[in-house]
Amino acid sequence: MATDLRISNISKIYPGCIANDNVSLQFKSGKIYALLGENGAGKSTLVKILSGVISPDNGEVFLNEKNLKLSSPLDAKKNKIGMVFQHFNLFETLSVFENLSIDATEDNKSLRLRINEIFKKYNFSIDLDVPVLNLSAGQKQKVEIIRCLLRSPKVLIMDEPTSVLTEQETEELFISLKKFCDEGILIIYITHKLKEVLSLCDEVAVMRKGKVVSVSQTQNEKVETLANKMVGQKLAKIKKKINISKNKDEIFKVKHLNFYSDDPFETNLVNLNFSVKKGECLGIAGISGNGQNELFQILSGEIITPNTSIIFRNKEIAKLNPKQRREYLMAFSPEDRISQAAVPELKIYENVALNNFKASNFFEKGLVNERKIKDHSKKILSDFSVNTDNVELKSQFLSGGNLQKLILGRELITAPELLICYNPTWGLDVGAINYIHETLIKINDQEKSTILISTDTEELLKLSDRIAVIYKGKLSKIMSSGEVTPEKLGVLMGGGSID
Amino acid sequence: MSLDISFIGILIGSIMASSVPLILAASGELITERSGVLNLGVEGMMIIGAISGFALMVITDNLFIAIVGSMLSGVIISLIFGFLTQSLLTNHVATGLALTIFGIGLSAMLGKNFVGIPGKEFPILFSSLRENIPFFGPILFGHSIVLYFAFALPFLTNYFLKKTKLGLIVRAVGDSPVSASNQGINVILVRYCCILYGGAMCGLAGAYLSLIYTPQWIENMTAGRGWIALALVVFATWSPIKVLIGALIFGGITILQLHMQAIGFRIPVQFLSALPYLMTIIVLVVISRDSRKIKLNTPTSLGRIFYKEK
Repeated sequence: MATDLRISNISKIYPGCIANDNVSLQFKSGKIYALLGENGAGKSTLVKILSGVISPDNGEVFLNEKNLKLSSPLDAKKNKIGMVFQHFNLFETLSVFENLSIDATEDNKSLRLRINEIFKKYNFSIDLDVPVLNLSAGQKQKVEIIRCLLRSPKVLIMDEPTSVLTEQETEELFISLKKFCDEGILIIYITHKLKEVLSLCDEVAVMRKGKVVSVSQTQNEKVETLANKMVGQKLAKIKKKINISKNKDEIFKVKHLNFYSDDPFETNLVNLNFSVKKGECLGIAGISGNGQNELFQILSGEIITPNTSIIFRNKEIAKLNPKQRREYLMAFSPEDRISQAAVPELKIYENVALNNFKASNFFEKGLVNERKIKDHSKKILSDFSVNTDNVELKSQFLSGGNLQKLILGRELITAPELLICYNPTWGLDVGAINYIHETLIKINDQEKSTILISTDTEELLKLSDRIAVIYKGKLSKIMSSGEVTPEKLGVLMGGGSID
Repeated sequence: MSLDISFIGILIGSIMASSVPLILAASGELITERSGVLNLGVEGMMIIGAISGFALMVITDNLFIAIVGSMLSGVIISLIFGFLTQSLLTNHVATGLALTIFGIGLSAMLGKNFVGIPGKEFPILFSSLRENIPFFGPILFGHSIVLYFAFALPFLTNYFLKKTKLGLIVRAVGDSPVSASNQGINVILVRYCCILYGGAMCGLAGAYLSLIYTPQWIENMTAGRGWIALALVVFATWSPIKVLIGALIFGGITILQLHMQAIGFRIPVQFLSALPYLMTIIVLVVISRDSRKIKLNTPTSLGRIFYKEK
């Protein structure tokens, strides 16, 4: 039976923000629909309304012309609307089977049978009796999907499902989603990744600031047109001029970097040697978990390794801690914005003060010089176009993009000679990514150097002058980015060789 | 020799009796904590249970009413805690501490007129078997019904948590209230039920003290047992069976060190008095050192305030 889902004039207003402004959309089974928008565009609010987690201030939802009252998640369940949340809604300490059985009405034996049928049908395989915390992100997502499938849904909503998946897991997910779609399940796919929309979905609705700004067939769209609709203005295309000059000074040189760890979750690094020239961006590519974390921590001084030589501006700094390295004008932007780069519970100016230098005089005789820090913070907020001027705001209320701008601003305002960043645009929307890319290019233009460790090949090709690939803790030879193609990088990242 | 063996039997019997309030209170608190609620009011709920049980016994002269009434009083006082933490979203730790202070004060006030009144003998079961079977008699027989219930409780709790649907829901709520709520589980209701159940068990534990173990009312007669029960739950890493083991060790060494003091061992009394606490912690730490299992048993959301998005 065909499914027809209609959303009519939905509005949801939070204090100080209109999350959904008169949203009307229509979906029919047999197609995959994309709901596209930047962070904060109102996509998540809309799907929370559809799944009964929150109720709208205004508007109605119709399923096959029946007006649905969705006042709790139970109502969504009863009406066969399934939802896979961006942050998994699983019970980590319970086993996979317990997770699946918690809202089942049948007995355990027949439930197991049904789960196994689903496994066979879609080629899934997960051990049902291990606790969920032992599963990979991809497997966890499968558990969520199976939980929905067990209730034979008419509508399946996926909220940013690929943000935690590897390339291969993403491909598997897409295959499964297409299968579900062929079976008549209506699929609504929420994302801010443009390429996914084009490769997976049939129709796309773009949201901006709580409103639907366009609905169109994906075959008529391109990455650029979608990006412009999403951001609401024309995005400047960024392309860096590669600058390789042989006679520039080497500002940073690493020799014999070895790292050995007993922890099975850490990667050992084997004899890394590389150098960075003045005004250059060295990109380090690789699939996550190949030693990037360890490399970043060693370069920033969080981990000190024996027998390694790190020369920075003609000084040996291998034994120095992060604070001492900062005094020598190095700067760092870690991958994990919330827990490593900033303290979410602290106010903006307090986070800025964490990065204190002798020269900045934030502290005098053991006391905090609040005015100085606040002035300094205000300058960062305006210089790096962070979307607030309130330095008293707690950092956790900044969006990912604004927090990253703040962190970069904090690092860059001291004019460091070398910036080391690790996945600086992870999880950000197009507008913020563009801004950060521009900033990184500007640094190189000012004859300062950067090391960019990233899992995003496109980003690396856009920004780096030279690129190396890290695989299982070993570094490939360093190539000029003119001679590198995405295909070559892909081979190296998978452990192959290109010579 | 036969005298020694029967003495050991009686000793074990008395150890069991002394650990009953710990088992009851800790098992109740364990269910509460498994649902993600940290109620530090155990001591307060116990002492309220003790005074209301004793008072009801004196007034009605009916032990059944006294026992049920003590459990109800535990439920009522834990309802205050539930209302504050679940409906008004107050901090669990502060509210629990306040509950203990409130309970101790209230019980002292209510108990003023009951000091010095002798208790009533509580009926014991199988008393003839106790006399006739050497060694095992005093261990297995001649106890009150509450003791038998207390020793069954950890196993029932274990079964409830691991094998029943409701137990699964309690664990799920303790693991992630947000996910549970999104799955359509009424988190607040589940937590209320667990809090009230914990209150009932603490009330019963208090009544055991004032009606059975030392049948009389003495101000502050729980003497910190509520805090020990709380510690047991944590050190037993939220496993009911380990709670039982811990309570027995604690009760055992408490009784043994009293005997050692009586015999006159040349060990400082202070050290002997500290021994039960020390040994219980050491043993429980040793039997629960599997960090993976601890992680699986620990209620992830313990003590965190949950509020539903609207």
